[in-house]
Amino acid sequence: MIVFDSFTLILLAKVELLIRVVEDTEVTITDIVKKECTRKQELLDAKLIKKLIEEGKVKVEHYHVGKEGKKIEKGFNMGTGEVSSLLLARKKGWIFATDDKQALKACKVLRVPFLTAIHFLLRLYEKGIISHELVLAKVKTLEKVGRYNPDIIRSVLKKIMEKGEQK
Amino acid sequence: MTVMSLRLSRKEIDRIKEIATKENKKKGEAARSLLYYGWFFFNLKRYKEGRISLESLAKELDLSVSETIDLLVEYGVPSSISYDDYLEGLETLRQLP
Repeated sequence: MIVFDSFTLILLAKVELLIRVVEDTEVTITDIVKKECTRKQELLDAKLIKKLIEEGKVKVEHYHVGKEGKKIEKGFNMGTGEVSSLLLARKKGWIFATDDKQALKACKVLRVPFLTAIHFLLRLYEKGIISHELVLAKVKTLEKVGRYNPDIIRSVLKKIMEKGEQK
Repeated sequence: MTVMSLRLSRKEIDRIKEIATKENKKKGEAARSLLYYGWFFFNLKRYKEGRISLESLAKELDLSVSETIDLLVEYGVPSSISYDDYLEGLETLRQLP
């Protein structure tokens, strides 16, 4: 099971990979993240996330951040949604999916394993869920929308090429 | 709206006048739009420097998370995720069934 914050969930929705991710992985969000992601219902990503929740493909759990959460929120300048996801992942021993630097810093301190959107793209390709052509196109889209460091993009492309040669 | 008096330099007053002329606004409106842009870029810079999270940025700018992501793309703010973070994520990825 993987707990997503709104950043990675919306990012994957924007690059049109979220449907494939939820079919491959069990995805959970907190009620606070649900509220953030579906706040502006006119947005395409909000519509998609709402639909996936209604279909039960994205599960929603209530998490009250409490005193510890407020302390993390203040210490790392994070939002309640990010903190609730992080603490839910820690409590359940699950993985936390985030593309936020502050959240990653907190993950390292609290020893919560994490993934970012680009890792899901690699997984979909390695599992043969998406084709070689599509993964290359999605790297370009994710490079633009996710604004990843060029070293990360180079490494991802290298892995894709290596895997492509093996296939 | 409430009234606030503050000291400004000649240059700052000239800038307010210049914006008011260029944008065909009253001086008060021009000063308020400058304050808005100041607040906007101040928070964008804090995010870029890795001092606040995306959710905090969205809250400060009164935008949704989705709109804030679009804004980062529009202003070309690079992701703060380092190569090291990515490598750590790869280790997690290998643990997935």
